[in-house]
Amino acid sequence: MPFTPVFRSEWLKIRTVRPLLATLFVLFTVTTAFSALASLDPGDPGADPLFTALSGTALGQVAAVTFGALAVSAEYREGAAARLSLTAVPRRGLWFAAKAAAIAAVVLVVALVTMPAALVAGLAGLGDAADGLTTADQVRGVVGGAVHLTLMALFAAGLAMLLRSGTATLSVLIPLILIVSFVAGDAFGAVADFMPDRAGQTVLRAEPDGTLGPWTGLAVSGCWTAAALLAGAWRLRRQDA
Amino acid sequence: MTSIDVRDLTKEYGARRAVDDLTFTVPPGRVTGFLGPNGAGKSTTMRLVLGLDRPTAGSAGLGGRPYASLREPLRIVGALLDTGAALGSRTGRDHLRVLAATHRIPDRRVDEVLEETGLAPAARRRVRTYSLGMRQRLGIAAALLGDPEVVMLDEPSNGLDPEGIVWIRVLLRRLADEGRTVLVSSHLMHETAAFADHLVVLGRGRLLADTPMREFIDARVRPAVRVRTSDPDALENALARHGHRAVRHPDGHWTVSGARVDDIGRLASAEGVPLLELTADEGTLEQAYLDLTAADTEFTAQPQEA
Repeated sequence: MPFTPVFRSEWLKIRTVRPLLATLFVLFTVTTAFSALASLDPGDPGADPLFTALSGTALGQVAAVTFGALAVSAEYREGAAARLSLTAVPRRGLWFAAKAAAIAAVVLVVALVTMPAALVAGLAGLGDAADGLTTADQVRGVVGGAVHLTLMALFAAGLAMLLRSGTATLSVLIPLILIVSFVAGDAFGAVADFMPDRAGQTVLRAEPDGTLGPWTGLAVSGCWTAAALLAGAWRLRRQDA
Repeated sequence: MTSIDVRDLTKEYGARRAVDDLTFTVPPGRVTGFLGPNGAGKSTTMRLVLGLDRPTAGSAGLGGRPYASLREPLRIVGALLDTGAALGSRTGRDHLRVLAATHRIPDRRVDEVLEETGLAPAARRRVRTYSLGMRQRLGIAAALLGDPEVVMLDEPSNGLDPEGIVWIRVLLRRLADEGRTVLVSSHLMHETAAFADHLVVLGRGRLLADTPMREFIDARVRPAVRVRTSDPDALENALARHGHRAVRHPDGHWTVSGARVDDIGRLASAEGVPLLELTADEGTLEQAYLDLTAADTEFTAQPQEA
C-alpha cells in the first residue's frame, strides 16, 4: 500500500473533526496571548529576553499535547473506529506512520504561524529590554519553538497509542507540563532539565544556562518523542486491534 | 471471485477459548448465514478473517491469502463489524470520504453508496444525530464502498426498521447473484432463514453445522402444517383416511405434524374439503436450531474459570 493516500486519509480525519481544529486555534491564541502578557511585566530584569518573549510556548504545549492525544484517541473512543481504519489499512506500521505524519504536519504549520506572532507580541511588550537579541536568536527561537511544539504533539500521540486513551494520556501529560516542570524544576535542577517539555524549551533561550544547549535540548525532546512513538507502535503491532 | 477460508482456526483470550478449531469455506455466489447464540465466536471469527485479531492457531484468509497481504483490501472485502465505528462529530459523508481516501476512491463513489443505502438526505449531518438504523446503513455503505468481491456483515439487521430489513434481504440476494461472497451473521434463525442459502452454525466456538439451508430444514425440522377449515368433520375424516395425525386447537385451527403444505393442499382439494388457511409451521425451524445449540449455550452460561 502506498503512503500518500493513507496520509491524505489521516489529514482528512483531522480536518473533519471540529474539536480537533479548536485545539489548534487554542494553541495559537494561548501561545500568542501569554507571550504578550508575560512580556509586559517580565519581573526579573535579568530574565532571558527571548525566553520571556516566547513564554506563551509553555502553555501552547498543553494545546499541542491535547491535539496529539485526541487525534489518536478518536480511534479508540467510540466503538472501534481503529478496527475500521485497520480494515482499510491493514499494515499497522504504515497506518500509524501516516497518522503521526499528518499530526506532525498540521502542528508544524500552525506552530510556524504561531511562533512569529508570539515573538512579535512578546517583543512589543518587552520594548527596550529586547534590544540585545540578534536576528539569528529570534529565528532559532521561532523555528526551534515550532519544532518543539510538534515534538510535544507527537509525544502525546505515541503515548495515546500506547495507552489507547486520550483521558489517560492527558492526565499524565498536563500535570507533567503544568505542575511537575514548574514546581519541581527548581528543586531537582539538572534532572528536570531533561524532562521532555523542559529540554525542548531550551531552544527558546538566547543564552541557555543549564547543561543542555538549544539544539541538544531539542534532541533530548526528540528522543522522548521517538520512544513514545515506538512504544505506541509496539502495542499497535503486537496486540489485537 | 474470492472465497473466505478458515482452517483449523483457534483463538484464546486468556483461558477462554472463543474460537475452537474451526474449519469452513464460504464460497462466492450465495448468501451464507453465520448463525450461533451470542458469544458463540461469530464476531471473533470475522475479526480474525480481517486480520484485526491474531489467531492462537490455524489461519483465516481470503482465497488463501491473509487479509494483511491484500494490496487494496477494501476492493476485495467490505465488512460491517461495529455500528459505533463512526465518530459522532464527523458527518456521514466525511466518515466515508476518510475511508475512501485510503484507496483513492473518488467522492462520486461515496455519493453512490450513500444513495444506495438511503442515507443521501442525511449525508451532511453529524453521525451523532443518526438513529441506530441509520448508523447500521452507514456501516453497510462503508462495506460497499470499494465494490468488494467479499461482503461480511456482523448482525446487519440490528436496529433496522421492518422496511430496512426487507431492504437488506434484497441487497444480500443481489450481491450473491452478482457472484460475490456474502457472509452474514445473526443469532436469530428465522431471520437467517429469510435470506440465507447456506448455513454455518457455531456454538461455543465450535462448528456445529455447515450445510445448505434446504438440507438443514429437511434433516432437522419435522415439518408441520397449520390448517383451518369451515368443515372440521370432513377435514378430520380426510386426514385420518390418509394416515395423518392432526391436533385440533381450541381456536379452531389444526396442526398436522409430519406433513407438508403441498401434501395437505392436494389432499384437501381431492377430498373436496374447503380450506380457509394453509401454512407451514415455522416454529419448528427455530426449535431445530435451539436443539442444536442448546447444549453449547448452556455451557457458556457457566461461570468461566479465571
